[in-house]
Amino acid sequence: MQVFRAYFKVMRASAGVIAIYVVIFLGLSMAFSFAEAPSEAGGFAQTRTPIAVINRDGNAPLAQGLAGYLADTGRVVPYPDDPEKLQDALFFRNVEYIAIIPAGFSADFLSGRDCAVQKVTVPGSISSRYVDMRIDKYLSTARLRFMYGGGQSQEQLAAAIRADLAPETPVTVVSSSASNGSENGFVFYYRYFAYAVLATVMMGVSSIMMAFNKPDLLRRNLCAPIPARSRSLQLAAGHTVFALGCWSLLVLFSFVLYGRSLLSSGLVWLYCLNTLAFTVVSASIGFLVGSSVKSIGAQAGAVNVIANGMSFIGGVWVPQSIMSKQVLDVGRFLPAYWYVKANDAISRLSRLSASALRPIYGDVLIQLAFAAAIFATTLLLTKERQAE
Amino acid sequence: MHMFGYRLKCLARDREVVFWTLIFPLILATMFHFAFDQLMGRQEAFSPIGVAVVASDAYQQNITFRQALGAISEPSGSQLIELAVTDEREAFRLLEDGAVAGVITVGDHVGLTVSQSGIEQSILKAVLDEYTHKYATVTGILRANPAVAGELIRELGQTRSYTQQASFSSAQPDTALNFFYALIAMTCLYGGFWGLRNTTDMQADLSAQAARRSVAPTHKLVVVLYDSAAALTISLAEVAVLLAYLMLVLRVSFGNEVWYVLLTSLVGCIAGVSLGAFIGTYVRKSESAKTGILIGTSLTMSFLAGLMIGTMKDMVARKAPVLSYINPAALITDAFYSLYIFESHRRFFLNIGLLLLISSSMCILSFLRLRRDRYAGL
Repeated sequence: MQVFRAYFKVMRASAGVIAIYVVIFLGLSMAFSFAEAPSEAGGFAQTRTPIAVINRDGNAPLAQGLAGYLADTGRVVPYPDDPEKLQDALFFRNVEYIAIIPAGFSADFLSGRDCAVQKVTVPGSISSRYVDMRIDKYLSTARLRFMYGGGQSQEQLAAAIRADLAPETPVTVVSSSASNGSENGFVFYYRYFAYAVLATVMMGVSSIMMAFNKPDLLRRNLCAPIPARSRSLQLAAGHTVFALGCWSLLVLFSFVLYGRSLLSSGLVWLYCLNTLAFTVVSASIGFLVGSSVKSIGAQAGAVNVIANGMSFIGGVWVPQSIMSKQVLDVGRFLPAYWYVKANDAISRLSRLSASALRPIYGDVLIQLAFAAAIFATTLLLTKERQAE
Repeated sequence: MHMFGYRLKCLARDREVVFWTLIFPLILATMFHFAFDQLMGRQEAFSPIGVAVVASDAYQQNITFRQALGAISEPSGSQLIELAVTDEREAFRLLEDGAVAGVITVGDHVGLTVSQSGIEQSILKAVLDEYTHKYATVTGILRANPAVAGELIRELGQTRSYTQQASFSSAQPDTALNFFYALIAMTCLYGGFWGLRNTTDMQADLSAQAARRSVAPTHKLVVVLYDSAAALTISLAEVAVLLAYLMLVLRVSFGNEVWYVLLTSLVGCIAGVSLGAFIGTYVRKSESAKTGILIGTSLTMSFLAGLMIGTMKDMVARKAPVLSYINPAALITDAFYSLYIFESHRRFFLNIGLLLLISSSMCILSFLRLRRDRYAGL
């Protein structure tokens, strides 16, 4: 048991660094979970594009009617008529559409002159098409009503348009899904989980391996009356306890943050399975790093580059769905890719049938295969080095 | 001059710091590039939405509805939907597989079935709403004024666009750019490692080298100036490598004014080196503690400037504006952003001015601290 006990004495030395990773991750996920808007369960929620409406046509009823209609169907963010502020707003996507109703628009429109609402958008984006449709619809209704509706005042016209645009198409949502899509906070939590567990477990395991691999210490230990097999087994036990500890801490915290919605989704055990597989991968990488680097600086570099690199290319930081095919093809060679793939698949599950679960089990197995391969490589490397 | 040269060599041999200040940003830039490759302009591009229609009798008989759907599903530049007319079973199978975003059913009235909420589903609903609304308008008008039927139908056949694309500047509002700008800000602030190293080699109670140097007959101000110049040179060279990589290899856009971009980098590096010097002189702790504080400070600043979450910088600017005027990383990022997006240079020079102000006050403070240092015994 000496080795096993020594393991945790060494661990205490690097506890600070590991704690920083965990605390930062937990802090950020807490911030995210509070920032997350409460999602309404069930039913169809129409997308409300954030939009800025600049009405330079003042009190003209038609312009006001259009602004009011956009406010009812979208989410209007109040902004002053200041190009610099509006540019900021669009760049950072506080609004995705800026509609400017020019001065004299209503009068021009009603006298049949060519006129248009000025729009500043992300060119060709899907949300700009969505708002375009609404503006066109409002104004083409206005045109029909005005041309054929007989002499009406602007107020009457605006009221008639609103009455025409009131009916809504009934929408049914079919989903036997236990979870309601990717809106749930815990889906994101479990995606970022990959980074947290990779960084902490890798840091911890590699610190221990570096300590036990110091040449002098290693030589002394080799003379000790403990069989090599027993020493390795005790180290392995230490790694297991440590990795499981990190894993359960992070899983526990997901219950604290998302308790009810997570439990009611019925997917907990799948998330646990997937994260557990990735924890094994993390331990194996830590094992490899700890056996190959010598200095603390090199270790910090390796941990940062591997954890961030894998998170970026594997699709932890940026969702796989918006990554290009070429990058994803490279990502396939990284275990994080398979973790995220399984995680996404779990969140999309609409029923727990064997055929739906099979690909997820496949992804988990691939992760375990990565872990086995990395462990084997490391053992081979150390064996060779010891022989020298 | 030889003092400058030796200092340069001395600093550049610190391989670990070179890794963090040069290689690490390059690696991060590459990863940003791969991850946001798709995000840069293309991801938001519109492609027609898949939808299935149940080919019921009611649908076959409703000619106007079929025409309406036909008009927006014709392959053209403005094609809105991709239509599949099938039987009910097939339609719902397509929905379940995610091949289509929704299923349209026509009975007494038009209905939509979807499997989740989203922008595509919302657009489908808007399309169907539009049909219903137009129907309401036309019946409303005809009820009051049946004589215009012929004209009305001719008018309906025309589609008009009432919106006109305008823009405030020629620059695309590409959110992903902010990640790269914040990354340069981080690299500039990492120049603080060199500033920190300088102060360690300057204070005789911190290193043997500093003790030796403080008994040399050179005036302290001269030593400090040469040291700082060397630190600044290395840091600027590193940022220049990063900039070249971003511009020439990754094709990140910085607007058209290369000299202003270089000016921003220079001022950013000055801010970084002075930050390091400031921490090095005022924090009286071990060297690793100082390094930790420097990393923590510069990463927090970069985080607030949007290194990890792209929209963070704007959030800070709106919720806590003071913070964005005193955070060097935010100022550097905003200087690049202003160069890229605004025609006028007012905001750019405001950023540069504030950066210089912050750096010079940090420099003066740390030199005041260094100047009075006398050591009774070491």
